[in-house]
Amino acid sequence: MELFNTFIKTAFVENLVLAYFLGMCSFLAVSKSVKTAFGLGLAVIFVLGITMPINWLISEYLLSENGLFGMDLTFLRFILFIAVIASMVQLVEMIIEKSSPSLYNSLGIFLPLITVNCAILGGSLFMVSRELDFANSVAFGLGGGFGWFLAIIALAAIREKLQYSNVPPALRGLGMAFILTGLMGIAFMSLMGIDPSIYTK
Amino acid sequence: MHSTNYVIMFILALTSLVAVGLTTLREVTYETAEMNKAIFNKREVIKAVADFIGLEEGQKVGDLSDERVLEIFNNDVKQVVVDMDGNVVDQQTVNGIYKGGLAEHIDMSKEKKKDEKERLLPLYMFSKDGKTKYIVSVIGSGLWDEIWGNIAIEGDLNTVVGASFDHKGETPGLGAEIKDNPSFAAKFKGKKIYNDGMMALNVRKGGAKDMTYDVDGISGATVTADGVTEMLQRGIKYYNPYFSKIKSSGK
Amino acid sequence: MAETAVAEKAAVKAEPLFGKKEKKLITDPLGDNNPITIQVLGICSALAVTSLVVPSLVMSVAVVFVCAFSSLFTSLIRTKIPKQVRMIVMLVIIATLVTVVELMLKYLNYPIYKQLSVYIGLIITNCIVMGRLEAFAMANKPWRSFLDGIGNGLGYGVILVAIAIIRELFGKGTLFAGSAVEMNIIGANNGIVEYWINTAAESGIGSWFSWYANNNLMVLPAAAMFIIGIMIWIQRSYRSHLVDIS
Repeated sequence: MELFNTFIKTAFVENLVLAYFLGMCSFLAVSKSVKTAFGLGLAVIFVLGITMPINWLISEYLLSENGLFGMDLTFLRFILFIAVIASMVQLVEMIIEKSSPSLYNSLGIFLPLITVNCAILGGSLFMVSRELDFANSVAFGLGGGFGWFLAIIALAAIREKLQYSNVPPALRGLGMAFILTGLMGIAFMSLMGIDPSIYTK
Repeated sequence: MHSTNYVIMFILALTSLVAVGLTTLREVTYETAEMNKAIFNKREVIKAVADFIGLEEGQKVGDLSDERVLEIFNNDVKQVVVDMDGNVVDQQTVNGIYKGGLAEHIDMSKEKKKDEKERLLPLYMFSKDGKTKYIVSVIGSGLWDEIWGNIAIEGDLNTVVGASFDHKGETPGLGAEIKDNPSFAAKFKGKKIYNDGMMALNVRKGGAKDMTYDVDGISGATVTADGVTEMLQRGIKYYNPYFSKIKSSGK
Repeated sequence: MAETAVAEKAAVKAEPLFGKKEKKLITDPLGDNNPITIQVLGICSALAVTSLVVPSLVMSVAVVFVCAFSSLFTSLIRTKIPKQVRMIVMLVIIATLVTVVELMLKYLNYPIYKQLSVYIGLIITNCIVMGRLEAFAMANKPWRSFLDGIGNGLGYGVILVAIAIIRELFGKGTLFAGSAVEMNIIGANNGIVEYWINTAAESGIGSWFSWYANNNLMVLPAAAMFIIGIMIWIQRSYRSHLVDIS
């Protein structure tokens, strides 16, 4: 049940995009249509869900003082985390290409983008600073990915509708996307302080 | 396209270069960095007794030079580690994990994860002009992440004379005000901790009702304020066994 | 570091390396090709650290440093990098430089390090750095890549500091809070009225604005989104060729 709480909390209450504003670049760039947003969102869930546990193992068994090398190597975590993320993204790309070419065609172009999605590295860094355990870090990864997925779909849907509105020309597209995200962020703030654990006690 | 061998060699060369370079840099900077960290933490402790360290008009603890912070710490502050039963823990009893039983070696967030009975508590005693103030460290959870603070208590072990708070990731302008807005910590001055033996000090949303024990909350940051209350009530209680020993020993 | 900088300055004098094209590399990202408002890169950190000016300045310096030197190094070894793993190689270079920044901050100014915490790490995924490596440094000579890195880092920094000034001024009524030159510009400074009256009397300017109540909206990260949105609006109103047609 605690894992479910972590999932809900990271997906809604502590949404990576709308509460922490992580993963903004691709969030804004790829939210023009719901269809592409859907693909990127799925890929993010996938990569976050995989890299989080791997990075957890790395920070616990390689980098910590009680780890394999017996010394505090935390200053190397940036390099190792990003290397894991980059290689995971590449691995995922290859696997999807082999196993399901149709999914690859819809996801393919977004996969390299994910490497530089701050939400992925940010998630791993949050995981370290919050000292989650293994199971929770999996839930955190999946929840964070799901929250990101929801947010980008919501923004894409609003932007599709906006095409029929009379927005000042200079504000069209990017400018409006920024303001929309700000408003969505404020809306999500009302979820802050909800503590799912009280319903399950 | 390069051959696989070339790729492997390239990656190996790059990684070893980077690893050696970074490790060297880290070794070179390590001691100063640790020193900076220690001074940073000591400054936080001193903030709780800011009224008593002889600051000039308008001067803040943040403006003190590093040397001055260390000087105050070395001259006026005594530090001990106590356990949950109120015993002073020294080097022998903990297999030398905490060198010399100094409070500054205690990592609060590591203690937080321990079983409640096994926690070690840092205690700083600030003495000036023959009067001792006890500075206790407390840790708890805010809205997003950990919050912690140092509370300075008068020799009667009941009156708060100062406090400082910090946090890992509270919302700026809301929860983060516990640190950013000095007037929040200042409101704790003069409050009493116990009402007839019960923990009564608390942060109350919607404004303090009983001026003896209540501190005004921060508007829009209910969760953080509740976190502060919880942290204070639980954290200060940990020190009770030790405090009753001091009281009974008649100091 | 100082030595290389001196060497490069000498190189500029020796050859006419700093011609029109090179100048454009620096000035373009400040306006028409700004990484934040036009290329939409590096937004995350722009939002997170801009509630105060001082961390924004430090962040800008760090990004300029990482951007310039990762461009330089990548460009130096660009013919040697195996194409299959170039993303990882670039990321390793960036991550190394970011770790250098982190270690140096801990060494030089611990309080600022504490303030920036997670966001230093996020420079790695700051798309500006990666984007410029991929788009420019992989195809250009070291010196020009270095300039391009500086230009884009500066373009990012200018916006970052501009947002921070607006947010800090209207959100907290101060400027440069937390540094030696901290100024209380407007407002009753979070209710510490006595302190405020003293400083206002000293500076003499602030007393005109003491009625101002701090706007908490500006302190929220969402405010940065609005400010960038409005900046884009203003920029595109004046430069109609930048308008997004879609």
